[in-house]
Amino acid sequence: MSERIPEAEATSPVIGSVPRSGRAVAWDRRRASAAGVWRGLRNDRLAMVGLVVLVLFALLAFAAPWLSDESSLSAANTGDNPIWAPPSWEFLFGTDHLGHSVAAQFLWGSRISLFVGLMATLLQIGIGSLIGLTAGFFGGWVDSVLMRLTDWFLVVPFLPLAIVLAAVLERGLWTIILVIGITSWPSTARLLRAQVLTVRQRLYVDRARSLGAGRLHLMRRHILPNVTPLILASTTLAVPISILTETTLSFLGLGDPTSTSWGGMLNSAKDNSAISGGRWWAYMPPGLGIVFVVLAVTLFGRALEEILDPRLRQR
Amino acid sequence: MTTKQFTRRFCGIALTTAALGATVVASTAATTAADTAVTLTVGLLQDIDSPNVTVGYTVAAYETWTLQYATLTDKAADDFATIPGLAESWDASDDGLTFTYHLRKGLKWSDGEPLTAEDTVWTINTSRDQEWTNHFATTVNLTATVVDDRTLTIETAVPDPKLPTMDVYIVPKHIWETHAGTVDDLAAYDALDGVGSGPFTLQERKANQEWTMVANPNYWKGAPAVDQVVFRVFSDGDAMVTALKSGEIDVAHLVPSQSFEDLKSESGIVTVAGAQGGFTELAMNGMAGGLGDGHPALQDIEVRHAIARAIDRQSLFDRVVKGQGEMIDTLGVSPSPEWTPTIPADQQLNYDPAAANQALDDAGYLDADGNGVREMPGGGDELKFRYAERSDSVNGAAIRELIEGWLKEIGIALEVSVFDDTQLGQVVYDGTYDLFVWGWTPFVDPDPMLSYFTCDQLTTDAASPGYNDANWCSEEYDALYLQQNQELDRATRIDLVHQMITLFYNESTYVVLYHDADTQAYRTDRFTGWTQQPKGTGPVVFTNSSPTYFNLTPIEGGGGDDSSSTGLLIGIIAGVLVLLVVGGLLVVRSRKNSDERE
Repeated sequence: MSERIPEAEATSPVIGSVPRSGRAVAWDRRRASAAGVWRGLRNDRLAMVGLVVLVLFALLAFAAPWLSDESSLSAANTGDNPIWAPPSWEFLFGTDHLGHSVAAQFLWGSRISLFVGLMATLLQIGIGSLIGLTAGFFGGWVDSVLMRLTDWFLVVPFLPLAIVLAAVLERGLWTIILVIGITSWPSTARLLRAQVLTVRQRLYVDRARSLGAGRLHLMRRHILPNVTPLILASTTLAVPISILTETTLSFLGLGDPTSTSWGGMLNSAKDNSAISGGRWWAYMPPGLGIVFVVLAVTLFGRALEEILDPRLRQR
Repeated sequence: MTTKQFTRRFCGIALTTAALGATVVASTAATTAADTAVTLTVGLLQDIDSPNVTVGYTVAAYETWTLQYATLTDKAADDFATIPGLAESWDASDDGLTFTYHLRKGLKWSDGEPLTAEDTVWTINTSRDQEWTNHFATTVNLTATVVDDRTLTIETAVPDPKLPTMDVYIVPKHIWETHAGTVDDLAAYDALDGVGSGPFTLQERKANQEWTMVANPNYWKGAPAVDQVVFRVFSDGDAMVTALKSGEIDVAHLVPSQSFEDLKSESGIVTVAGAQGGFTELAMNGMAGGLGDGHPALQDIEVRHAIARAIDRQSLFDRVVKGQGEMIDTLGVSPSPEWTPTIPADQQLNYDPAAANQALDDAGYLDADGNGVREMPGGGDELKFRYAERSDSVNGAAIRELIEGWLKEIGIALEVSVFDDTQLGQVVYDGTYDLFVWGWTPFVDPDPMLSYFTCDQLTTDAASPGYNDANWCSEEYDALYLQQNQELDRATRIDLVHQMITLFYNESTYVVLYHDADTQAYRTDRFTGWTQQPKGTGPVVFTNSSPTYFNLTPIEGGGGDDSSSTGLLIGIIAGVLVLLVVGGLLVVRSRKNSDERE
């Protein structure tokens, strides 16, 4: 399969004697480079392991409604289950203090953890990109103001800020997403600003500018395409951090208590003395789930970053 | 309200209390913390909010005051009977309105100043004039007068069944007078003077970490056998239990229910599920105060009854608190069971979801659109209630999960928000809730707890909140309240209280879920003399007058010094690590050398 990938170019329908527009050429180039990225990833065994693990978890999360009944998450329906039952055929991961099946909680919890991780990442990358691009592109006082703001967020210790925000705002899933989003964008902003600054210095940008290209045109045609790979790479790397942060906040009891997430499961295990009482099945599944997902995304993200970030490119 | 037995509205720890008070404060008390001092360490999950007796309200603060300030009359460890305290005797006038108290000879404050009738009279009269929160309910109708240094009279304006019990904390006039210009001046006082007349006085406080109390040699019973008591604040119940197992603390207060079960099989540790009349309730917004926006359906008694019948209280009690406590249907107004009525069988609102569904159907709350949630009669708003969950309670989430599931069975949906205790207090005052679960712990006399549900205690202005968080009141109840408040015949008073509690039960603005146990565990290797109050059923610390602290005597050679053994262990591990590193380096070095030599 992998050998066929380059053929995507060859079979491209626009190839031929017909004169092609600049845009079409650009799109071809992009498609080709995407294929190149995929090739790079295919050659990186760890990245592929990460991808496979990730796809597995995503499938599990997607299939949760078919694998387990959502009503089993409510303690009102688990009255007949034994409490603190160790893993068995009936309860694959055992049961907790209220007779919940830990396996069912793990399945449904993966949805929340992945969802929050992804949404928070999007928010954080969104804010970070906007501020980084604006600061880098406009320079001058805009840059100064935005970067001071970024510095401020960078120096404020992350966890205390997140805890204070989570404690002050109304408890809920979107609050957690918001908290993670607005506390972790600064690094993205700095990264993008730096990249925009280098791109802006390039000759063809100067040339375009002297030919009378407007800001919008410059941004759209020259800057944005050049920083997109970087945005993509930092998105991938932000996901595990977001998932971990969600877990941390939930573990500290600041998450959304009405939805089951892996962090929430850990918190509930701690609150109900599963750790001191040696009831390992209550905290091992969510703990390992987090470790595997975070590891998988990181492996994949690192490889992607290596390929996409010009400063890390070794080939 | 009468001293001690606290309203445990504010259990648990709030992260936000970090700003409270100075971090480290030295006190005027002499430092006796020599290495040889006998130290009792108490683990708990809550800090004192303020050592100032006119400001604080937490359980932790009450315990501190109980140790620091002796009272005119004391309470028997066995049954709360009124026994001599600072006063060795008292006489009543014929009309029962004036009482004369005779103080013990040679009473002294911990700083050596004499404790006279002047101190007690000043405390009683000033607390009445300035309406000190923890004294006022007791002293509101009282006038105290000095007869001589060791004699005072207390006159009450109305018959008062609580007298001659006089259990307000007596504060040292020579210290407090200078701070008590107005009640606001007094509230600003940090009260770290450490001068008291009880067995222990406050020496040092580190906010959110610990506070230390030292033995008072001038205590009227004599100096206690324990030299100092350290109260250590834990942010996590599991960590507290671990500290108890390792001997870092001697007794733990409010052990999580699962750990409590686990500790039962631990040798050298005794568990006590102390009953104090405290209870946990599901409250519904009755909207009587007029503030806020409670759901109109909750003002229909049929809906409230249906909710009460939809909840499987026995299952909740067994599964959430592991059966620790008691299944009692009604309010707890006192630790003494005589005040608790039995609800007639035909009035009991037992678990019966089918009957609840039928009642809601009959009352016209139908689910016309078939989405599983009923609507108001004739269509309109859904029966979707805002439920305020307490984050400071370990059991808050489990209780909510169960109630949410059961109410779903009768076509009622919940919209859950989570609040810490400070936030929840505000939500309740503002009336912007439909349901919440919280709890109370009553005093020995039922009067204060009963007073909370009178019309006087409604919050009608969020700036000056009252205690009535049922947000319900009735003229009938208020009339009964006034009657019992001045009824001197005990049997008649008990009957009146039973009527009030039954009436309140039938209204169902509160569904009492269960009566809590004060789960405590203590080590037996270092001290003897742990005292349950009341005998056999009560807890050992954080009780009504906490006799344990004075009764404890150290066991000769018991326990050993755990900190030194921990130190030794750390030393050994560090030593082994150093050896490994040094050894490793030597090996590497010698290899290198040999490499070079080759």
